[in-house]
Amino acid sequence: MAGTQTMERLCGVFRTVFDDDAIVLRAEMTAADVDGWDSLSHVNLVLAVENAFKIRLSTKDIMRCRNVGEFADVIERKSAGSP
Amino acid sequence: MANESLILNGQYNIGSICTRLQCARGLGERTAMRWVGADRRLSRGWTFADLEAETNRFANALRALGFARGDVFFTFLPKLPEQFIAFLGALKLQLITGTLFANFGEDALLDRLGDAGAKGVITKKSFLKKFVRIRDRLPALRTIILVDADDHLAPDILSLKVLMAGASADFSAPATGPDAPSVLHYTSGSTGKSKGVLHRHGSVLSQSATARDVLGLRGGDVFWCTADQGWVTGTSYGIIGPWSLGVTQVHFGGAYDAAAWFDILEGQKVNVWYSAPTALRMLMREDDALFAEYDLSALRSIFSVGEPLNPEVIRWARGTLGKDVHDTWFQTETGAIMITNRPGLEIRPGSMGKPVAGISAAILDGDGKPVSDGTVGNLCFRPGWPGMFTAYLNHEDVYRQRFRGGFYHSGDTAYRDADGYFWFQGRSDDIINTAGHLVSPFEVESALLEVGEVAEAGVIGAPDDLLFEKVVAFVALRGGQAWSPELELKLRIYVSNKVSTVATPQEIVPVEAIPKNKSGKIMRRVLKARYLGGDCGDLSTLDQD
Repeated sequence: MAGTQTMERLCGVFRTVFDDDAIVLRAEMTAADVDGWDSLSHVNLVLAVENAFKIRLSTKDIMRCRNVGEFADVIERKSAGSP
Repeated sequence: MANESLILNGQYNIGSICTRLQCARGLGERTAMRWVGADRRLSRGWTFADLEAETNRFANALRALGFARGDVFFTFLPKLPEQFIAFLGALKLQLITGTLFANFGEDALLDRLGDAGAKGVITKKSFLKKFVRIRDRLPALRTIILVDADDHLAPDILSLKVLMAGASADFSAPATGPDAPSVLHYTSGSTGKSKGVLHRHGSVLSQSATARDVLGLRGGDVFWCTADQGWVTGTSYGIIGPWSLGVTQVHFGGAYDAAAWFDILEGQKVNVWYSAPTALRMLMREDDALFAEYDLSALRSIFSVGEPLNPEVIRWARGTLGKDVHDTWFQTETGAIMITNRPGLEIRPGSMGKPVAGISAAILDGDGKPVSDGTVGNLCFRPGWPGMFTAYLNHEDVYRQRFRGGFYHSGDTAYRDADGYFWFQGRSDDIINTAGHLVSPFEVESALLEVGEVAEAGVIGAPDDLLFEKVVAFVALRGGQAWSPELELKLRIYVSNKVSTVATPQEIVPVEAIPKNKSGKIMRRVLKARYLGGDCGDLSTLDQD
């Protein structure tokens, strides 16, 4: 499970992408829980995550994620240099 | 084509027809809406009697707040049951009732609410921040109703729950004639801001007749229209047409999800499904094995709207689902389906089909003269169908320009073949059709220019395998600014949040300068030709300075 630091950084990315300082991320959250998170803004989110964490995410990486917690796990693994 | 039994004692009120009339027909206990939440669970159903009572409460609540005939009221909500209650309740009170796409940003909201002089809006708490930023520029907006607040938050920010609890379920819509203004949708323009397309209560005749004669809806059917209520398909066929016929509708609170959608088609035993080419193309990309698991024996017909339907989609649906997909064509201005490959007509894959009963379509050249079969021209219609819009709000001149030589000019180009089938060719203006949403290049350019690093911007639509067209932006940066992935991301996010996610450029191309003519108008056709590698055409008006 992703650490607090990753979740906090990820929360900052979400706030920028969705222009909402009130967003508080929880691991179980999905697109249905964030206003404006649709397939088009998801591309913005992925680009912003790649930029913030200096990683590259594949479609496969993203498709595996069922919620924010799993997304954060992938980010953490990628940041650590794991495939 | 008109279904005259809809109109009793001269009552054309859409809200009343969709609820009270159905109860009067003895359908009060029939399920009007099955609500499937984003978690795919059927959370509850509303009978027509429930809809009648709830919309009456909402109409009474609005009346108690001082709303009156002709006032403009908007819904700004994601897919939620309250959307339907508010829409029909406001129409019952004879308010001009608009719907706004839930992913609109504050610039898009400001343009639309300001132009319409909206007095009220129903929304949710988390959307309030968008209103806070623009409220001082919306002097007419006096009431915001929140669907998810337990108590009133301020004298002008009210709780729907509290309002409904104090409102009577008895309400009789005032006698409403066919020409009384009804639904307001904003549509994109290529040269200016979005324009408010105003409809009339009499439009229900077109919506009802096409729901019956094109979609083939009949009593006892279960119908699912996936369109968002922020767009005309979502109101004409996600609310009005089916309910005017007493048909049960499924509504889903979630987004595109192939498995969820097919769970609904099978589980809810949907008989008629109305969706869009982009969604169908997304389904085509799924593993065929997914669809083999589902029993779609209840599904009688699939319809599509919003963009041209590729022949590949029709072939895929026949092969994988064992069903035909019937294309339909209409626009915000026409209010109802005008041309279709309806069931019973031989489908010519790639064509729009033939005009529906009572609709006279023609292909005209630039001088307004009919062209021969097979020749591309402007797709036009003889005015007078009940669903025809009655105004572009505050733009009477533009409205008049759309009616020339006895025809309504749609802005689309097409040709007709020798057998009377129409074939869509494109737009005669610069409006971009991306995933069935019309996007104004002007709106995207305006948003890009608000970003400090951008000196000039030009936006075009380019062909895309999935979206039909994608938004492509060209930007010239101010002196000293350098192009970077970070800036590209900043521009994408800015457009998403200020205009709409659907307006987000899929590509942003840095250029030295944006081509303009000597009057300073952006030459989008030159940008498009350069992007596509084609001929730029006549460049005599290009400003070379």
